[in-house]
Amino acid sequence: MKLEVKDIRKSFGETEILHGINFEVESGRALGLLGRNGAGKTTTIRILMDVFHANSGEILLDGEKFIPSKHQIGYLPEERGLYPKRKVMDQMIYLANLRGMKNREAKVNAEKWLKRLEVFEYASRKLETLSKGNQQKVQLASTLVCNPEIVILDEPFSGLDPVNSQILKDVVNELIADKRLVIFSSHQMSYVEEFCDHITIIDHGRVVLAGELKEIKKEYGKNRLMLAAENDSVEHLAEKVEREWPDLVRVSGRKKEFLILELKEGVDRRRLMEKLVASDVEVERFGRYEPSLNDIFVSKVGEEG
Amino acid sequence: MKQFWIVLKYELREYFENKVFMGLTAVLAILGAGALFLPRFVDMSGFTGVQVTENAESGESGETETPEDDRVFLYLDHAGVVREDILGEMFPGVAWQQAADVEALKSSLEAQEAEAGFVVTGDSEYEYYVFNKSMGDSNTAVFDQAMKLFYRMDYCAVAGLDLNEITAMYDAPITVTETVLNKDSGSNYWYCYVLVILVFMLIVYYGQMIAVSVTSEKSNRAIEVLVTSTSPNSLLFGKVIAGAVGGVFQMGVMMGAILISYQINRDQWGGMLDMLLYIPAEVLLAFAFFGLGGYLFYAFLYGAMGALVSKTEDISKSVSGLMIVIMVVYFFSLLQLTDVDGNVIKILSFLPISSYSTMFARIGMGTVAAWEIIVSFLILVLSIVGVGILGAKIYRMGTLRYGNPIKISTALKSLKKSE
Repeated sequence: MKLEVKDIRKSFGETEILHGINFEVESGRALGLLGRNGAGKTTTIRILMDVFHANSGEILLDGEKFIPSKHQIGYLPEERGLYPKRKVMDQMIYLANLRGMKNREAKVNAEKWLKRLEVFEYASRKLETLSKGNQQKVQLASTLVCNPEIVILDEPFSGLDPVNSQILKDVVNELIADKRLVIFSSHQMSYVEEFCDHITIIDHGRVVLAGELKEIKKEYGKNRLMLAAENDSVEHLAEKVEREWPDLVRVSGRKKEFLILELKEGVDRRRLMEKLVASDVEVERFGRYEPSLNDIFVSKVGEEG
Repeated sequence: MKQFWIVLKYELREYFENKVFMGLTAVLAILGAGALFLPRFVDMSGFTGVQVTENAESGESGETETPEDDRVFLYLDHAGVVREDILGEMFPGVAWQQAADVEALKSSLEAQEAEAGFVVTGDSEYEYYVFNKSMGDSNTAVFDQAMKLFYRMDYCAVAGLDLNEITAMYDAPITVTETVLNKDSGSNYWYCYVLVILVFMLIVYYGQMIAVSVTSEKSNRAIEVLVTSTSPNSLLFGKVIAGAVGGVFQMGVMMGAILISYQINRDQWGGMLDMLLYIPAEVLLAFAFFGLGGYLFYAFLYGAMGALVSKTEDISKSVSGLMIVIMVVYFFSLLQLTDVDGNVIKILSFLPISSYSTMFARIGMGTVAAWEIIVSFLILVLSIVGVGILGAKIYRMGTLRYGNPIKISTALKSLKKSE
């Protein structure tokens, strides 16, 4: 199953919010849909769910027009919400019924997911009596109660402690392994890196970066090296590099434990290594620098504020 | 359509599984019915004028019109005009006793051994003593009549006239045979009045509940999941119809318990509550159709108004315009009850904002043709469908807009633009 979002545009009143969003995702893979607050992620998801209608563009599933009501979609919204005064099991069955599931099947599925997320003991309790973390898990169970083919998770880890986060990580991995199509939106980049093969970064309603995460990292790490010295602090090392080898490299970043250097055009890594060996720098770490998704995200959308 | 039924079923459970809702319904129905059964178990003859006695042989209750003299009144006759037998006739159920003097009379009243005391100081003068005077105390009015009778009797005796002959001449009996060919407004007025109030309460109370229910889904963000699971139409229609069923159930149970209890105990009440509770079937039927129609009409608007705000505390602002319309219609309807065949109520009975109360008032008290009822009801039904669709559009537009309340004018402009 392949979902393609093609050149989606959306305006509210006179203001265009989305200026042509494109991405695609396949079953058994997770797409990281990233962006700052207000970038247009939720609007894109709502268009995908047919809550809003796009002004132009199209959404295709396996080449055909995508009609959300004909597919089982599990959506975990960023703004969490269920009925606080109703019993957990009742509202899960209700939501499954709304998505076309019969009572018996809905109950079986609700039990399955509540057990999987370790909150089955609260099935007959009112939601408001549960802790925030457990409410979050019930919300996720409600998302999955209809056995969705497409799962859209918007900030699924917010409010979870490390133990619950691990349970959720396992569940997301199981969903991916189970060939579900997963769209994952989060500001916690470490989770995105963990699950997503592909990312799409949206900024001000435009896709500013998209592709396979490994390739993007490779591209961003091209000509970049990391350097740490045993006998020098990062600051001193940076001064020394800028003073002694300005024709070879420039300092493009400083991390707590190492420097990020960018090789100047036409300079080979070996030349720098020779210079280092000949210098008094006692090299602790030296090698290719692979940027984190966080670095890539900040470099793409962080400057504009 | 299937999703509408799912929403309806789930929302209905909110009412019927709510212990407060069900408990309140039961308690109010039992209290209402219990109050109407009271004359069977408690002597309320002083209030109803009908005394219920226990039939010793059959154990069933029977009625008698001869109450015992269980109230004590005192008198002191300085003028020598009082006739105790006549007082006995004019004050049924009262035992008359002569007091020794004014002080003794006052003491008895203060000790509450007697209810009232009369000191006759002349053939046309008397003093009235009472410990606590009630709002409906008519003792002086009756005693005035008695004093006038004593005066006439004494005068006739002195003048050698026949009092019976004079009385027969002055009070010649007139026989009237009244035939009301259509409606008797005098007797129908009060139940129409009550039904107008009832439907007004139904609209305001349950309408507010629907608005709260819609807004709560926004404030607790349940709407985020719901709008991606079903259509706004199913959600709003399910909610409103569930609110209507809940309201009609509660009102129906209470009214049913009260009306049936009154039917059972009507004789014990001596028919004194007929003007409120002996409602003809045609009026009840009109009330059911028009009342329910009006309720649905406003319920959709309440639902839409609820979608315009994100916090339940903002609902009052959102529904204030609607409340003004309802209040104006309510007061106009009540004022027009005294002129049910007038042009104003005729116009109001065709408008969907007011036909819910004015049409059944016309049916209950005035002259109304069958075609008028049908046309008015059709207008109401079409208007319900119209506000239902409009309400669902406003609901769809408003559900995912959080923050400051949206003005109805802004909402309508947005709808116009999106079209």
